[in-house]
Amino acid sequence: MIGNDIIDINETRLFTNWKRPGFLQKIFTESEQEIIHASKDPFTLVWRLWSMKESAYKVYMQRGGSHFFSPTKIKCMLISHQKGEVTINSTTLNTNTTINSNYIFSTATINNPDIDTCIFQLTENNCKQQSNFIHKQVLNNFAKNNSLNCAELLIQKTKTGVPTLHYKNKLLDKSISITHHGNYAAYSILESSGNNITTQNNKT
Amino acid sequence: MNKKEQMISELKLIIKPYIQDEEAFKNLNEDTDFINDLKINSANLVDVILDIEDKYDIILDNESMDKMLNVKAALEVIKTKNAEKK
Repeated sequence: MIGNDIIDINETRLFTNWKRPGFLQKIFTESEQEIIHASKDPFTLVWRLWSMKESAYKVYMQRGGSHFFSPTKIKCMLISHQKGEVTINSTTLNTNTTINSNYIFSTATINNPDIDTCIFQLTENNCKQQSNFIHKQVLNNFAKNNSLNCAELLIQKTKTGVPTLHYKNKLLDKSISITHHGNYAAYSILESSGNNITTQNNKT
Repeated sequence: MNKKEQMISELKLIIKPYIQDEEAFKNLNEDTDFINDLKINSANLVDVILDIEDKYDIILDNESMDKMLNVKAALEVIKTKNAEKK
């Protein structure tokens, strides 16, 4: 299971005002608010914590959870500049966050395995075109890295909106998470345990 | 315009600044999902909630927020909270 979330820093500065009265209280627990207020860079911390929560929520959805919108029920703990822990419905997930001047990017997993992540810039503005472009990127890269025929690879979404990878009409035993915001997008893929399809014979 | 239609058009005004899918917004109905259909990003959903609080002078606690995933649920929550006020 893998969840990820990217935040375009420029887009966020332009369109979301975290200083708006009531905003922090709706999203963060009291202890999270305390560390935000004590921080020298509250902007970055607010959005780091938010991306941790979002990525953890995606793992929760992959595990069969149903939609909810209560950001304060998802509780964050910071371990280092990159690492954190997020608790959601008594499950604790490990998060890893990368921060630079363009974006904040977090991944959440159950036990921090190796994640195949790719981050890229978007040129399209229209949300449908962006979504098509991202799917193409995922499929092209995944096909290349696993020597599969891209034309037979497909991303489908479950009823609850969780993306899944299919090859030759068969569900692949991989977890995938896709995120985009503003001018940035990313996908993260994780090998699931057992039952992987053999890919050696599928080269085209 | 009946009461429900009026509430939907009020709600449309509130969410308009945050939507990213114009087509879904044009076709907005009770079943429209804020995140999946209108592509409102979840941080902006917090703005929608704060805007609703301001507009109707109500407080949306965690329990009400939890339900605010589509138009129908939002109308329900506003209606309930408004009734509690009186």
